[in-house]
Amino acid sequence: MVVTKSKIEEEIQAIFSTDKPWVTIVWDDPVNLMSYVTYVLMELFGYSKERANELMLKVHNEGKAVVSTGSREEMEHDVARLHEFGLWATVQHGDQVS
Amino acid sequence: MSEESGFSRHGDNTFIAEFSEAEREVLINLAGQIIELLSERADHADEDPLAAMVGITTHDSPPDDEVLLRLLPNAYADGVDAAEFRRYTESVLRNKKKSHAMAMRVLLKSASDGAIELDHENAQAWLGAINDIRLALGVRLKVEERSHDELELLAPDDPLRGVYAVYTWLGWLQGSLLEALMDDSANEVN
Repeated sequence: MVVTKSKIEEEIQAIFSTDKPWVTIVWDDPVNLMSYVTYVLMELFGYSKERANELMLKVHNEGKAVVSTGSREEMEHDVARLHEFGLWATVQHGDQVS
Repeated sequence: MSEESGFSRHGDNTFIAEFSEAEREVLINLAGQIIELLSERADHADEDPLAAMVGITTHDSPPDDEVLLRLLPNAYADGVDAAEFRRYTESVLRNKKKSHAMAMRVLLKSASDGAIELDHENAQAWLGAINDIRLALGVRLKVEERSHDELELLAPDDPLRGVYAVYTWLGWLQGSLLEALMDDSANEVN
């Protein structure tokens, strides 16, 4: 694996910038049923039906939504579980979110 | 006829459905194809047995096949991060998806009368398996590019017409299982 200098700087910056956590993003997908996305968010994150539904609608209407926030390791765990259930999810550092 | 009923909830933890012989065969076949597709991307354990033992895959580049790429997507926009993540997690993800499809296939194969009874754990495996099949069919149908109307209007002799019919049916079936799972009233009454 090639690690560039800017990559290292980015990592170090991430360690010290506690105000910019990592996030898990779910992206809109034309296949997944809306009720399925809501259900998966409830099951994996323990969100209420209302909260999960709100996030699902954000994904549907805006193309994406942040569904969880925390350390990089936690977000990688969340993304792995979302992938297990077929949701299209990625990990991002907080400051990259537009 | 069972076709219009889908899954329904019985008590706290039981979800039942009845499938016709044709429906059962379609589901067994599709689950088998998912298992086969995921198995094609097997790790080359002989190259590094120790890495294979702890679940590190020899794959760190995304699959070329569009369907596999949708089932095993990149976790990062950045290619280097995505490759690193894939190396340590892809074989686990592949095995989980395979186990969902296998759970579905085994139950269907043993239910020669088409009567299926799922507990909560199996219901989740079925949800995942049905979803993976729909994702796979969705890639083949190009649902990203085609509108719903376009797919509805496929010519009768277009082989994709049948694929779309199965895709739609699976969506309906998954919806019925979701409704049964989220039916809180069943708990409140008891």
